[in-house]
Amino acid sequence: MEYSTNELMCVSAAMRLKDGMNVAVGVGLPQMACFLAKFTHAPALNLFYELGVYNPYPVDTGVGLSDPRIWYQCDYYTGFLGALGQILAGGHVDVGFLGALQCDKYGNLNTTHIKKSDGGIRHFTGSGGAADIANMARNVFIIQKHESRKVCEAVDFATSVGCYKGGNSRQENGIPAFEGVTVFTNLCIMKTGKESGQLELQSLHPGVTIEQLKENTGFDLIIPKDYEITPEPDHEYLDILRNVVDPKKIYIK
Amino acid sequence: MSKIRELSELIHEIPDGSSIGLGGFIITRCGMAAAAEMIRQGKKDLTCYSIMGTMEADFLVGAGCVKEYNYAGGSLDRFGRLDRVNASINRGGNPTRVNEYSALSLALMFQAGSMGIPFIPTKALIGTDMLKALMEKKTDTVRMGKDPWTGEDWLYIKACRPDYSIIHANAVDENGNVIIHGPSWDLELAKAGKKLIVTAEKLVSNEYVKAHPEEVAIPSAFTYAAAIVPAGCYPTCIFGEWDFDAKALYYYSRVNQDDKLFKEMLDEYVYGTKDHYEFIQKVGGLKKLSELQVDSTKSYRIQDLSKPNL
Repeated sequence: MEYSTNELMCVSAAMRLKDGMNVAVGVGLPQMACFLAKFTHAPALNLFYELGVYNPYPVDTGVGLSDPRIWYQCDYYTGFLGALGQILAGGHVDVGFLGALQCDKYGNLNTTHIKKSDGGIRHFTGSGGAADIANMARNVFIIQKHESRKVCEAVDFATSVGCYKGGNSRQENGIPAFEGVTVFTNLCIMKTGKESGQLELQSLHPGVTIEQLKENTGFDLIIPKDYEITPEPDHEYLDILRNVVDPKKIYIK
Repeated sequence: MSKIRELSELIHEIPDGSSIGLGGFIITRCGMAAAAEMIRQGKKDLTCYSIMGTMEADFLVGAGCVKEYNYAGGSLDRFGRLDRVNASINRGGNPTRVNEYSALSLALMFQAGSMGIPFIPTKALIGTDMLKALMEKKTDTVRMGKDPWTGEDWLYIKACRPDYSIIHANAVDENGNVIIHGPSWDLELAKAGKKLIVTAEKLVSNEYVKAHPEEVAIPSAFTYAAAIVPAGCYPTCIFGEWDFDAKALYYYSRVNQDDKLFKEMLDEYVYGTKDHYEFIQKVGGLKKLSELQVDSTKSYRIQDLSKPNL
């Protein structure tokens, strides 16, 4: 069965979301991966949006977090304080699932601005709840495109903290300990190492070479000897992704 | 005594230089009519707060009413960006100085304000470049501190009590009991305001409130005054009443990228209309609103969300 890289990223991220997990999620591919997990192996997964919408069941695609289309049929309404200040800060979030403009070798994320070559900046969106989620979730997942300027040595602005400056620096600076940042790209899956606090290759996608990966990564990626090859997406998962989760092909192209 | 007043009269009370908490979230429940009235009255030097970026803030920044804006970042979702705010940031804080936080840190600032306590400790913002920038700018709204019991490092967020909070709600009664349906991200901000001004879709009787007290999100003790402003959030949406107007939002996110186009838009739709009712008439009146009307089970209309050619 043929599949796109977006589908592969979505399915491989969904496979790592376990039944019963609580997930703080944004719109786009992260949301698609959550629903795919929920509609397959993880029916008891709880997902919520930072503004205070818990376990929605949207049937129409929305334009973003502020659109009632994606709040449809939820279990519970609260606000930022109930969602981020209690569900998240109270320690109930297993995975915070985010997007980013840039990700550096320590898993720090930028969603704020890009530095221009003339020394100026171009401002995009900023944090929202992303920085809070990265500081307080047990795991951070991100899906993003693998290019050397996006998976880079240092982010232009650290909006959301991963392993901070590597090693133990996160905890030493007063940020709660976590299990790490997992990055799903169109080339591979990487996760920050427990000791190094740096991104390490976990799983290379089928057909991708190590040379290709190195070429598109803006830093010296740690490549352990025992890395895996990502399994091809399961037919049943692809079918549900295409026909139930994103039937209008808004995100899964 | 009834707390219901005219919007223009209420906005008239707000002095230049005031601090204002804005209750909207991106393109939902944005107090657009209140913002337009502030622009018509030529308010100056405001310090504005919202948790996430919100359309009424972009509107006020673009019109030159805002000296300082504090927010956690934001956009117009798929319609576009808060490009009047972004332009100010890209120009190094001209005309508006912008301070960026995270969503939780701002929510906690208002929670502390509403509780009458001086600060709240949190793990939010630590390690981020937002914190670095706030420290460099000496906003003095955040300081590192210790847990007095364990000695652990925490960030102390200073309480915030804006002079006014302005929110848009589903309904209000004459006493100022406020009904909000759907998620309620703005309760702490509303309750932290020294004076809470509410614009509401409709007036309900106190008998209705007594029959449905579970619908009241903010009791009257917090409410300074309210104005009845149907579609006061147009072109943004409000749960259970109106969907957003996708075409109008695409238009806005085109003109907010350009100083001249933005000014022309203000001239035509804000300065060119005497009040909210004339504005609604200009954008299509009741016929337009009838296309956006929703119920509280399915709070949206099937409409074309693709980008038109502008």
